[in-house]
Amino acid sequence: MNEPVPPAAAPGPDRAATFAIRKKRVKLLGLTVDDCIKVFFGGNAVVSIIVLALITYFLVREGAGFFGQNRQNLQVYRQAGLEYVDFIRTQSDEHTALTRYLSDLRLRALRQLTETQGLSLDAANTALAPFDDYSGKFSDAVEPVRGLVSELTEVATAIKTKFIVNEDKKEERRQLLAEGKTAEAAAVVITSVDFAAELKPLLGTLPAYQAANAEFTAKLTAVLAAPPTLPTPELTDRLQRFATLARDYLATFPAVERNLAAWDFRQPVPAAQSFTAFIFGRQWLTASFWQDWYGIIPLFVGSLLVSLVALSLAVPLGVGAAIYINQIASPREQKLIKPAIEFIAAIPSVVLGFFGIAVLGQALRLLSQQSWLSWVPGFPYSERLNILTAGCLLALIAVPTIFTLAEDALNNVPRAFKEASFALGASRLQTTLKIIVPASLSGIISAVLLGLGRVIGETMVVLLCAGNRIAIPDFTQGLAFVTEPVHTMTGIIAQEMGEVVRGSIHYRALFVVGLVLFVVSLLINFAAQKIVRRYRISIG
Amino acid sequence: MNTAAHVFRPRLNAARRAEGLVFWLFRGATYLILACGAAVFLNIVFKGAGTVFKTEAPFVNVAFLTEAPESLYIFEFEGKKYELGDTAFRAFKEANPAAANVKTESYVYSAGGIWPCIVGTVLLVVGSMTIALFLGVCAAVYLTEYARDGAFIRFVRLAILNLAGVPSIVFGLFGFGMFVIFFGWNVSLLAGWFTLAFMVLPVVITASEESLKSVPKGFREGSLALGATKWQTIRSNVLPYALPGILTSSILGIARVAGETAPIMFTAAYVVRDKLPWDVDKASDFFFQGVMALPYHIYVVSSKIPQNEYTERVQYGTAFVFLGIVALIAAASILLRTRLRNRYKW
Amino acid sequence: MVTTSSAVMESPASASASGKIQAALPGRSPRTAGLPAGSAPATAAAPAGATLIDIRNLDFYYGASQALKDISLEIEDHKVTAFIGPSGCGKSTLLRCLNRMNDLIDDTRVARGTIKIHGVDIYQPDVDVIELRKRVGMVFQKSNPFPKSIYENITYGLRLQGVKDKSRLDAIVEKALRGAALWDEVKDRLDASGLGLSGGQQQRLCIARAIAVEPEVILMDEPCSALDPVATAKIEELIQELRARYTIVIVTHNMQQAARCSDRTAFFYLGKLIEYADTREIFTNPANSQTEAYVSGRFG
Repeated sequence: MNEPVPPAAAPGPDRAATFAIRKKRVKLLGLTVDDCIKVFFGGNAVVSIIVLALITYFLVREGAGFFGQNRQNLQVYRQAGLEYVDFIRTQSDEHTALTRYLSDLRLRALRQLTETQGLSLDAANTALAPFDDYSGKFSDAVEPVRGLVSELTEVATAIKTKFIVNEDKKEERRQLLAEGKTAEAAAVVITSVDFAAELKPLLGTLPAYQAANAEFTAKLTAVLAAPPTLPTPELTDRLQRFATLARDYLATFPAVERNLAAWDFRQPVPAAQSFTAFIFGRQWLTASFWQDWYGIIPLFVGSLLVSLVALSLAVPLGVGAAIYINQIASPREQKLIKPAIEFIAAIPSVVLGFFGIAVLGQALRLLSQQSWLSWVPGFPYSERLNILTAGCLLALIAVPTIFTLAEDALNNVPRAFKEASFALGASRLQTTLKIIVPASLSGIISAVLLGLGRVIGETMVVLLCAGNRIAIPDFTQGLAFVTEPVHTMTGIIAQEMGEVVRGSIHYRALFVVGLVLFVVSLLINFAAQKIVRRYRISIG
Repeated sequence: MNTAAHVFRPRLNAARRAEGLVFWLFRGATYLILACGAAVFLNIVFKGAGTVFKTEAPFVNVAFLTEAPESLYIFEFEGKKYELGDTAFRAFKEANPAAANVKTESYVYSAGGIWPCIVGTVLLVVGSMTIALFLGVCAAVYLTEYARDGAFIRFVRLAILNLAGVPSIVFGLFGFGMFVIFFGWNVSLLAGWFTLAFMVLPVVITASEESLKSVPKGFREGSLALGATKWQTIRSNVLPYALPGILTSSILGIARVAGETAPIMFTAAYVVRDKLPWDVDKASDFFFQGVMALPYHIYVVSSKIPQNEYTERVQYGTAFVFLGIVALIAAASILLRTRLRNRYKW
Repeated sequence: MVTTSSAVMESPASASASGKIQAALPGRSPRTAGLPAGSAPATAAAPAGATLIDIRNLDFYYGASQALKDISLEIEDHKVTAFIGPSGCGKSTLLRCLNRMNDLIDDTRVARGTIKIHGVDIYQPDVDVIELRKRVGMVFQKSNPFPKSIYENITYGLRLQGVKDKSRLDAIVEKALRGAALWDEVKDRLDASGLGLSGGQQQRLCIARAIAVEPEVILMDEPCSALDPVATAKIEELIQELRARYTIVIVTHNMQQAARCSDRTAFFYLGKLIEYADTREIFTNPANSQTEAYVSGRFG
């Protein structure tokens, strides 16, 4: 106890002297140790900003080159004459589509004849002979044009190959030079492609095309002038519809010719076009012998459709469950169900995807083939993996998110609201639907938005269960589109990233898709926060 | 007189019936969700248990848990049907030279076990959680203890919120672009660790912040009033009491890290790798090797090989083991959290 | 209600409470004699009534709202000074200014004026807040023992200062616990958690923790507001003993408490110092009509 004199014990005047609160602390770059610690922690807090910035930077860094490369891709498409050939090819493809329409019509007619009218197969075929003649003539009419297309395809492909080989050689020389091997670099032979000369034979076919086209037009007009009769009025309507379509098709011919005549390979591809070709492109076609297309629309639509199906299942379930747990359930039920739903959130998505492949896809297909369900649009279907399968599983992923956040929002409604409503004699349902839910509506909406964000960014389930067919679904049959397979933005990255050459246009395109996903997720998040903030104010 | 005749007697009218109906709808929605979850869970448990457990001692399929994946060969030889793994098949051919040209059906990864995947997953989880906990706890300490409200802090919080919403595949792309290519780490544990760590960072920060905030203000004031520096206060009077909470809440982050496939697809996971992670020439190689991982293995076996009676074994077995691990982690987190809430009431 | 409480205040009982304070004063010397040898002469030498803390024209803001308006006050050495006033009058804010605990609250600032302790302006940039808080201890409204053992609670501050010597720590623990009149109650369970004590014991533990680091000033922010009357009486008794060695500033809601245990009383209202005088003066013959209204229970 006889320790150094504590301050309180010092004699009067000395006490003031020992009251040494002005103390110099050790300083480092003008910071005390405590400041350094603070800076250290602050640095860690900044990590999340840095990570966000880095994500943006690396997505842009790897993806930015895409637009330049895509522009060149489109440039080559034009210079090598592929675009020219595609004018004619489109014409021929449209014809094929019309032919398909006719064969579909025949199938219906045959079914009608054999099933409803009870004709034998032979008799039915005989009855359809005029129709067969008609459709045969129609489909044969295209032959001259189609022949031209396959001929030109070879020419254009040859030019493109030549150009690409040359580009590879240039690259080789550049690399050799970079390595300092001047002699080897000089040995690399580069013959620049003279597009004008190369394209001459291609362009020279224009008269031939015009002749072929004239023949084609004549044949079609002749065929269309003599339509056959069909057994039922319903099918006659369809045939009439076909005739209209075919006439519309015929009307496009002059435009094709004009396009061909006006086409000029020297016309530059504007920079914006490489951008619009990506954003509005309806085709994602890679590793094709003809021309690669990087259009995000089919993927975006795929992601969107799968998410919408998932949300249309998850929102009623998740919000309904949240209302049940928050307003109706007994405390014991609450205690059991809340952790159980949290537990569902912990099921890894790849396991759900596996479940979809192993069980759910098959089960849903079997269900669709039940005759008592045939009224459902799209049923029965044969593709096991499709929007519906993926949507159902994604719903299970979105439900816990929506449930938890919606339940929070309901919880935040002041008790007084509820009590006041009860005191006015409102029933529990009235109170819930007219007071509690509207008061927490913005919270629920933001819960749904965050659920959407969760679903649209989900990878494994869609990769395994969405069917991975890169195509925009056919919306003409209404809701039946849910039974079609699609590919998604997340799925395409996961599937193709492992196989692409680093630095290639395909590789960069995938990064741009990632960038789009990133931006979409940020927008969704931003919207959700905005809504929540407004909601806080409204509760006051 | 008549008990039902008083003014407050319950009336069964249309409104009441509608109320009952709507409530049943809500209840139905709730139980439908649970039923769906249970269906997935039970399907995998029942089918997977057949692979992982056995009816006789030691009741666990040790080979499945401790061996590497192999190709499965199915063939008929001398009237008997065999299903053999790669090694066993080669031994069989040596023992029976006549079988050298036997016609076989083969399925990759359908024999053997999943030991390298388990190891890889554990390594990925441990490494990434270490990084994430360090960064996350430090960030949370700053946000709760040091930061004063202002534009900067709002910006940090906005970043954390947004980071939480970034799709996992985007983290995968980012990790690929930054760690694998830019840093030149190739497909490696290290790249996977950082990618996963950044992905769960928001979860860890939020959990840590919550725990730190639940430590009463009095502890801090009491300590500061005794002349402790801020750091001394945090170290001795805040962190120790927040740590159990941080750890339990972060377990949910572990479940997320263990369960994600997309971020490791191009950063850390190999489809197949013969060597176990510790079979490296020099210690530094350890960090720069890719590993097999359970979630990725599930993806591979469910998408790259057909579904049939021979492949089902390994598919369901892997899914079961993986789901079991993740479920255990999640259940532990949920239970511990409730218990912790009851225990720490200051 | 009003009449009864004013009756109490003006009753002889309150006068006798003040009388007790006076009676306690002479008793201080024998008590200090019982204290450790080092401190007794110091107390004797301390010039009672000398100014220790000098507050001049203090303006204090929480964000845009002014919490303290032009406060000037001299707190005397080795006396118990009570701050009284209705809720929100700024008395706790002023108390927390004295060891700069307000620094911890966002968006607060001293806009004008000085607080000098021993003539050192504690808001000068070269002042080390940590050193200041070692010298100016604080006891909070809600007792806040750390969830550690009683022993660790007491030694916490010393360990921070680097004291590791076990025997010295033991000695200080005993001294502090005795000083806080808690020794007899807890000496057998020093390793038990501080949270296991009763409310009054917890508060005395916090006082013991504060005096273990040997501050000069102890600030008490409504130390008895959460305690029952018996525990309150014990704390008040303790304050009487502590005044021998420390300068004590106490914020209280309870006017009887101020009357019973303080030497000087400052009355605050709406962030202003209304009156500052000897306690007896304030309670028996306030100069200001607002003070009179408050101490007689007509508002607040």
